[in-house]
Order: sequence, then C-alpha cells, then structure tokens
Amino acid sequence: MQFERVWTAANWERLLVGDLFNKGVMGGLLLTLVLGLSSIVIATLLGAGIGVMRSSTRRALSVPAAIYVQAFRSVPLLILIFWAYFFPPTFGVQVSKFTSVLIALTLFTTAYIGEIVHGGIRSVASGHIEAARALGMSRLETQLRIVLPQAFFNMLPALAGRYVVSIKNTSLAFLIGLADLTEIGKQIGARLMTAPIEVYVTLLMIYFVVNRGLSLLMRLLEDRSRFNRIFLRI
Amino acid sequence: MKLDWSILWGDAGLLILHGLVVTLQLSAWVLALAFVLGLAFGTLRWIGLSVTEPICWFYVEFARNTPPVVQILFWYFSASYILPGWLFLQLRDFGYEFGAAVVALAIYHGAFIAEVVRAGLNAVPKGQLDGARALGLGFLQSLRRIIMPQALRITIPPLVNESVSIIKNTSLAMAIGITELTYQYKHIDIFAFRGVEALAAVTVIYMILCTLAAGLGHLLSVRLSHHITARRGLRPVLTSE
Repeated sequence: MQFERVWTAANWERLLVGDLFNKGVMGGLLLTLVLGLSSIVIATLLGAGIGVMRSSTRRALSVPAAIYVQAFRSVPLLILIFWAYFFPPTFGVQVSKFTSVLIALTLFTTAYIGEIVHGGIRSVASGHIEAARALGMSRLETQLRIVLPQAFFNMLPALAGRYVVSIKNTSLAFLIGLADLTEIGKQIGARLMTAPIEVYVTLLMIYFVVNRGLSLLMRLLEDRSRFNRIFLRI
Repeated sequence: MKLDWSILWGDAGLLILHGLVVTLQLSAWVLALAFVLGLAFGTLRWIGLSVTEPICWFYVEFARNTPPVVQILFWYFSASYILPGWLFLQLRDFGYEFGAAVVALAIYHGAFIAEVVRAGLNAVPKGQLDGARALGLGFLQSLRRIIMPQALRITIPPLVNESVSIIKNTSLAMAIGITELTYQYKHIDIFAFRGVEALAAVTVIYMILCTLAAGLGHLLSVRLSHHITARRGLRPVLTSE
C-alpha cells in the first residue's frame, strides 16, 4: 500500500475543492456537496407537494402525483441524467452539466420523497384529522397544524436514508464529465496508474465519512424535544 | 430536429435487444448473489455474536454509505492487485468486467438486503424461538423451520423494492464498459447519431422491466400472505422504498 502517493497536498486540494483556487472551477467534494445538498433541499420541497397531492381525496390531484412517482421511480437515474443533458440540445438549448445533473437528481429524488411524505401523512391517526375538523379547523389548517407536523417526525428516518442516497447518487455526474469527487478521483488514479486500490479506498472513505455524518446529523433531529428546543425555542 | 423511429427496426434495435439480454443476465446474477450475502449477514447480525458483529457492522455500513458506481470502479480497477496473478490472467482473457460489476453490485445490494433480513427476523416474536427450542428443535433447525418462513414472508415487499433497484443500478455497469442497455444507447448515439430515439426506447424498456418486477413481487407477496389476508380481511400494501 502506498497511500503517501495519493495523499499529497496537491491531490487533497483537488479532491476537496477541485481546481477552485488555480482555475476558479469548483470541483471535488465541494461540488458533490453543493450538488447533493441543493438537490436535497429542492426535492424535499417539491416532494412535500407531491406527497400532499398523492394523499388528497380528489382524484384530479392524486392520480397525476401517483403517475409521476411511478414513472420516475421505474427509470434509472443515469437515464434521467442523459435525458437532461442530451435532449435539450436537440432544440438548440445547451444546458450546463451541473444544471442537467441537478435537474435529473432533483426530479428522481422528488418521486421518492413524495412517496415518503405520502406514507408519513397516512401514518397520522385519522382520529386526529376528524377531531381537528370537528373543532372547526379548515382543511388547509388541519393539514398544516395537525397532520404535517406529526407526519414530519414519522418521516425523518426514511428521509435520512433518502438524503444519503442522494449524496451517493451525485457520483453519477462523472459519467457526463462533471468534475465531482468521483471524476477527480478517477483523474488522480489515471495519473498515478499503479495505485487504484489506494485511490478508490480514499474515495470510498471520503464518501463514507460524509454520509455517516449526514445520517448522524439527521438522527439528532429525530429527538423531538431537542428539535423543539433548537428550532422552535420551546 | 427530425426524429426517425424506423432505425429501431434495424441494427440499432438489435443492439438494444442485446443490451436487454445483458441487463437481465446482470440483474439475475446480482440478485442471486446479493440475496445469499444478505441472508448470511442479516442472520449473523440477528444472532449478534460479539466476534462477528464488528465485521458485519463494517460491511453493512461501508457498503451502504458509499456510491455503488465507485464500488464498481474499485473492484474493476483493483482486480489485478487483489487477485493472484495466474487467476487474473485467466480472467482477463475472457473479460472480467462482467464479474467485477456482479461482485460490486452484489456487495452493495447485499448490505441492504442484510438489513431487511435482520429487520424481518427481529419482527418475529421472541417466543417463537424459545418455543421451538423448548420443543426440542436445534438452533439451526428452529431458524430454518420456524423463524425464517415467518421472517421472509414479512420481508417480501422490501425485497421486491430491492430487486427493482438492482435492475435500475445495473445501468451503472456501463461505467466499466459492459454492453447493457444504457451502454447500447451511448453506442447508438455515437455511431448513428440517433440518441433521442435510442434513449426513448431504452427508457421504455426500463419502465416495463421495473413495473413487471414490482407487479410480480406484489403477486408473490399476496400469494404468500394469503392466510393472513383471509383471516384478517386485510390487503397487504407494498411499502415504498
């Protein structure tokens, strides 16, 4: 094992921030995190919408949401990335690599999060909804004040799992040549030529630390009293 | 840009069909191996021996928290360093890409299946094992005849989800040049400039494959839980991934 060949200062810089300092191009772990986290945030918002639509009693809302979820869950993410990157140019529109991966990853994750939100909403006891309606709350108020806060805590473990998958999925970006962590690792490996084990073990370790950290952070949120103390100041 | 769907009836169609066969072969191998791995590690974690626990934890956590495509690259590029020389040279003559992808994806999905199996085993009431042991069955015998049949029935829906994601994740094998569906799309795009048509065809095939797999799994879970359904008047629901 010759880890010292991989773990040079120059290689670490490229792995962590890419060519940010010498060429001004973001890359490496930084790009992976920016891509992963922004798609997580957007997909959570969109997914909440899809999940609420899916749980609606109106068929005009629930059927399109169900079709969306089913369609996007039965296609590999890689295919979605290829659609997002290679389809717009046929209309003469060039989408950047970062944007196309972001769009594909967000649409893909939205379908899964929609399903998680749907499950979370269904897990709230129907007595709570009936009681809220009986007390004179409107439908929207019932959703916002009674159903969603309870559903949120029921969803947290599944959401944490999904977020980790999203961070892992950003690694597919290297297949269209985006300089994310995996691509930089591949480049370092190609330059060294005789140290694939060291290079890929380093990559796997970085991903492991990031994803473990993310799931531990999400586990902190699952403690409801701590959540209230930090975010709601109760 | 004008689309020309007729190319799908020519050589391009044959390439896609060939890709479909490779995708199915890859999925079948990965599913079988991952199931074996998952069953072994899930049961080991359920038993919870202090000797094996650190190894099982390391395997499951490391495999689940790292991207599958990096795992594929790792096994593919380091095969020549891990395997003994004579074996590697033999494998190289036949092309070991397929084997590397199968091993990597099986290890990745095996970890997920291990957690599913462990959860299923934990869901069986503790009294079942105690009862079986008290009636004179050995540990392995009670595991095989009493615990496993109950546990596996619960785990069918998550296992179906896992097989659907195995089919989807075989698309990552194109990273090391396996000629499955996604690779064939790239091939047609580069050599015939008919990317959109090929991509649409490949997308539809993946959708059909995944829907079929989920549907078959649903049928299986309905069949296997028929006695519960009949008794309680409940319909089993497929849980989401």
